[in-house]
Order: sequence, then C-alpha cells, then structure tokens
Amino acid sequence: MSDSVPSIISIDKCAVKTPEVFSAEEEAGIRESLRRCPAKAVEEAIEFRKTGDPKHLPVVILGIFERFVEPDLRPRLATADSDDLRVIEDLGLDSLTMMEIVMLVEEITKTQIANDELRQLSTIGDIKNFVDCRARGLPSPPSATVFDNAALLERMPIQPPFLFLDEARVSAAKATASYRITGQEFFLQGHFKDNPVMPASLMLEALGQLGVWYLLAGLPVEEGKVVGSGTIFFASTDGVRCHRVCKPGDVLTLQLKPKRVKAPLAVFEGSIRVGQEKAVIAEEITLTFGLVDAPSPAPKPEAESAPQA
Amino acid sequence: MPRVFITGVGFITSIGNEAGTVETNLRELRHGLATYAPFAADNIPVKVIAPVRGFETDAPDQEDWVIPAPYKIRRELLRGMGPNVLYATCALEQAIADAKLSPADVSNDDTGLYAASAGSPGTLTRSINRMHQMGVMRCPPLSVVASIAGSVQFNLVAHLKIKGSSGGFVSACASSSHALGFAFDEIMLGRQKRMLVVGSEDGNVDAILPFAGMRALSPNTDPNTASRPFDKNRDGFVGTGGGVGLVLENEEEVMRRGVTPYAELIGWGQASDGHNVAISHPEGLGLAAAMRRALKCAGMTAADLGYVNAHATSTPIGDVSECKALRSFLGEHAARVAVSSTKALTGHGLSLAGAMETAFCALAIRKGFIPGSAHITELDPACEGLNIVRATQAASPGVVLNNSSGFGGANVCLVLRPAV
Repeated sequence: MSDSVPSIISIDKCAVKTPEVFSAEEEAGIRESLRRCPAKAVEEAIEFRKTGDPKHLPVVILGIFERFVEPDLRPRLATADSDDLRVIEDLGLDSLTMMEIVMLVEEITKTQIANDELRQLSTIGDIKNFVDCRARGLPSPPSATVFDNAALLERMPIQPPFLFLDEARVSAAKATASYRITGQEFFLQGHFKDNPVMPASLMLEALGQLGVWYLLAGLPVEEGKVVGSGTIFFASTDGVRCHRVCKPGDVLTLQLKPKRVKAPLAVFEGSIRVGQEKAVIAEEITLTFGLVDAPSPAPKPEAESAPQA
Repeated sequence: MPRVFITGVGFITSIGNEAGTVETNLRELRHGLATYAPFAADNIPVKVIAPVRGFETDAPDQEDWVIPAPYKIRRELLRGMGPNVLYATCALEQAIADAKLSPADVSNDDTGLYAASAGSPGTLTRSINRMHQMGVMRCPPLSVVASIAGSVQFNLVAHLKIKGSSGGFVSACASSSHALGFAFDEIMLGRQKRMLVVGSEDGNVDAILPFAGMRALSPNTDPNTASRPFDKNRDGFVGTGGGVGLVLENEEEVMRRGVTPYAELIGWGQASDGHNVAISHPEGLGLAAAMRRALKCAGMTAADLGYVNAHATSTPIGDVSECKALRSFLGEHAARVAVSSTKALTGHGLSLAGAMETAFCALAIRKGFIPGSAHITELDPACEGLNIVRATQAASPGVVLNNSSGFGGANVCLVLRPAV
C-alpha cells in the first residue's frame, strides 16, 4: 500500500454522484437481494440507486443489519444510539456474517470494501460513515489506531496507580478505550467500606484521560506542531448522569466523540458502558491543551536502502 | 481383538425419515419413487426419482428451505450447507439419539467422524454462476464449504465438536462403504473407540440429471417399475438423495454404556477392477475379489453367509457383472444364499448407497427379516443359479454381506452379523 494521503481536492469533484439510468431489472435485483430486509430499506435502496443521494443509505444499512441480526437483538437497532453498536460484541455477528453483510452492502450501494478496510469497521456507525464517504466520492475516514497498554504507558502524562485505561482505539471521529476494574485499586479500600465501588468522579476522570489520549494520539494538527503532553488539563464537564454502579470485575467501555476541538479547548461527549448497560453519560467534557513544536524526525538509518549482501 | 458394533442408525431417505417407517417399507416392499416435477420438460428423457420426503431444498437460498420437525438448524449453520449436508445433519442427529449418546460421548478424543458425499453440484453451480455474472467478490463467502465434496464433514465435525479422526471418502457409489470400512479399521487399530459415519447426497436435478447423458438413468416413466434390479427389462437406475448416519462403537463402549447394538460389523474388503472409468468389469472380477477379502477379514467363508444386499442398481451391464461376481464367489452356496437389491425401493443413492444399505442390513438383522428384491416381473436369465429373493422373508438373515461398487471400478464389501 502506498503511504500517500488521499488528496483533499477530490472532495470538490463529486459531492453527489450523477445517477445512472436505473432499469426495471436492477430494481427487481435489489428487491430480490433485500427481500428479507425491512420494506423501508428496500425502498430507500431503490431511491438511492435512482438518485445517487447518500441520504438514503443509513436506512439501507440499518435494514441490512436487521436482516442478519438474531430476532431477539433486533430491537437494539431501533435505539437512538444504534450507530455505536459494535457488530461483533453487541450484535453477536461473526466475521462470516459480516462478510455476507458487506457483500450485500457492496451490491446495493455499488461500492467495494477491501479486506483491510473491513477490519477497521467495528460499529454500525463506522460502516455508515464509510459507505457514505464512498457514495459521495470522499476519501474514507481514516481508520482507528489501536494502542495497547504499553503504548499508553509510554506516552501518557498520567501513570499508574491513577491511569484508568487498559487499551484504546483512536480515530479522528472517535476514541474508545476499555478498563477492567481489577479490585486491587487503592481507592476501593475506602470506597466504600466493605463495598468496593468505582467512584463516579474517577469514571469521569477515566473519560478525561481518554480525552488526553485522543489529543496526544488522534488529533490532526498543523504541520510541525504537536499537542504538548504537559499542556492538557481538565476544564469543565456538564450533563453528567450515572446509571449503574461499577464494581471489581466489570469491564468499562469508554467512548468519547469530539464535538468542537480548537486550541486551546477540546469539547467531547462521553459515555461509559459495561457490556450492553449504560454506566455514565457526560454530555460535555472539556479539556484545555496547547500546541508545541514537533521534535525533528530522527534520521533514517542508512542500512534500510542498502542491499543485503 | 477389538470388536465393532453398530449402535445407532438414522435415516433421511425416500422410504422414510426414521427407522420404523423404513423397516415397514422394506418389509412390505413399498418403494419411494415418484414422478419428479423438475424433470417434466419434454427434452428431459428421465421422469422419475426417489425424492426425500418432508424436506424442500430446491430453493437457491437455504433460508427458503422447508425442514420438517423436529429438525431446527440455525441460519449461521444452514448457510454452510447444501441439501446433502442438511440431510446428513438430520440423519446423524437421529443416529446419535438412537445410540443414546450424550454430547460428551460425541465430543472427545476417542470419537471420530467419517463422511461420504459427492458434494452439492447445484450449490456449486449457483455460486460459480453468481461469481461469473456478478463478480468475484460476490461469490457467497461460504459457497466453497457448502458445496465441495468434503462439505458434509466440514460442517458436521465443526457442529458436533468432533475431536477425534475425521475425513471424507470420494469413490462415487462406493464412498460411504469406504467410510464404514475405514471407520471399522480406526476402531480395530485402537485409534478410536467410536466412529460416526454418514453418507448423503442432494438427489436433485443437478446431482442426478448428469447421469442421463451417460445413458445410466432409467427412461421408464412409471415409478412402480422404473427401478427393477435383476429384471430382464431393467433399463437404468433411478436417482435418489438423502442421508444415513451410523454409530460404530467398540465392545468396551457398548458394555460401558449398556446399549443393545443392531449388529456387529465383523470385516470388510475392497478390490478394484482396473478396467474402465465408468463401466464395471464384465466378469465382476474386482467385486468378487472384494467379497473374498471381506469374508477373509471377517474370518468366514461363503458357507457362513445368509444374505447379500447386492449393489445392483438396475443398469443392464452392472447387474449382470454383479451376478457373475456372486456366482464366482458363492460357488456351491450360490443357490442357498439369499440375494436382493433394496435399490428397487429406494433407487440409487450414489455416495449414500453404502451407508444406507448397511443401515438397512443392520435393521434387518435386529428385526429378523430379509428384504425382498422388488419389481421383478421376469428374472433376467443372467441371474441363473442365484437365490434372488423376490418376496421379503421373515427370517433372521444371519451373516450379511453388503456390496458397493463405484466409478473407476472401486468395489467395497462389508460383513455384518447379529450382535451377541
């Protein structure tokens, strides 16, 4: 694969594709392929193919998922936050079913999703975004990068025993992380007496830490600059609701979506779940940060270009 | 010396989807043949098959199939199946229940699974057509495992969580007899305590009709006479599909579990014609040699035999060749040993045939009857000297030989006797 970034100029070329002539056979083909999907998905797919307008696609994609998801899980697709549903963990679809879904999406939307692209699509929202970008002729959203615990420890200004992230995935649009409450955390000794519960304030702290990591690892900034790791501080939070008590053994799934990011402020909306259950919602979490000059890149070792013997 | 017993059987066949119905139809010589609607077109010279009852698997999409109770198969499993795998799954499920095996008895280091099927040509054809018409990346992701010759064991070994030996056999109409023979060896060699064996075929247009081009299928439009092995006027075989499963276990397992076996599998043998890719040896040399080896393996001779379930498929050449082999092998016992072909009732199950007919023999041994060779109006003079039984006999068959012959001149014979 080439390292070149897709040119931003291509965005201007094709906001909405010109529809091709749509034949009765094509319509029959779509109806046949989608016949186990909800009726509105079929109609929206036909509209999409007639007009080329990507606004029809979300319903089509949700409808294709509905067809493959076990009946008892289908109601989850109708909830407001269905974009956040992870296809494997939350919807119980295996990788072969994902392939069937991708094949149907490709067929209906006339797009191609390559294997390495497929691997990056973990939620329904990821897939909707991806297909939407394709339909608009935009470059695909950059894929999420996965950071393990060692990567976090190396670059985070916050360290154990006060680091509440085990691993993280970061893309320009979103950051997710997991944290398992081990039961060994120092604060559990007193919170509460004989009843270890992770404090709500530390759950917010964990979301804030994910915000720090997003700024350090995921934020696109101007060339020659980076976010200074010593410049990030908590500013404010708003609209916090706790729904569930979290105890040792629980695995927290943290998620942040940037709402507005412009130095020196980054505003996120955040959530924490345990499995399918909501634990914490924060409508806004705001961090401050500063940009510093990027360190000059290390010179490339000569050996790399030299032939081996 | 280890001993091998048949402790469970399961049937998805044209003459019944459970042992009781199959036994009644075998005893009463009621056939499973019918006029087959997809052969109605004038340019199709064949009109009759022996269809599996209760299932509808002609739809290209598995989710449109009709699967009768009590069988339920989840979509994620069904998508990897052709009709042959579906039939095999139901038949083996039945055999496992019949043998009273727990999930732990099925999934362990000492239990293996051998399967036999030619694959699902209809499923394969549709996938390949789709790939050519719609593009390489539109070929269904499970099209390969759902269609190629190994698809039965791919699916069943995974679904049943088999941990022991597994594999498949592809020798056309001798396939599932090969599977049984090598499963017998697996137990005799002490490698496994228990083997599940299943044979199956689609039995639909794409699986059967290609045999019309080689003039092997009967053009007879009457389901009552289309399959008539050993009859002078036979004119080809009638195709069938379905699945038959058997459970083989060593003596130790039979004793431990306290089950009553149907029969003991006491030996098998095989020999090849080395003659023609599709036509059996005119003198039946390979088949006669296979019978001798099977009896030798069982420590017996023709004198010990009571009944032969013949391969006889109702083709003009094949049945004659088998008659010659039988006369040569049985010698002075030819006039005594009962011979019949149950293919008069079921048609020819191809890869399924060996397992189906071995399970028929197991039923006959346990229930004490010899199924007759149906639909013979005028016995072919080529059968002279043989005891072709035309009516069912209410007598224990004693030691039984089951013959199978496949393309390439593969001949496989299995020997069974009552379990004592």
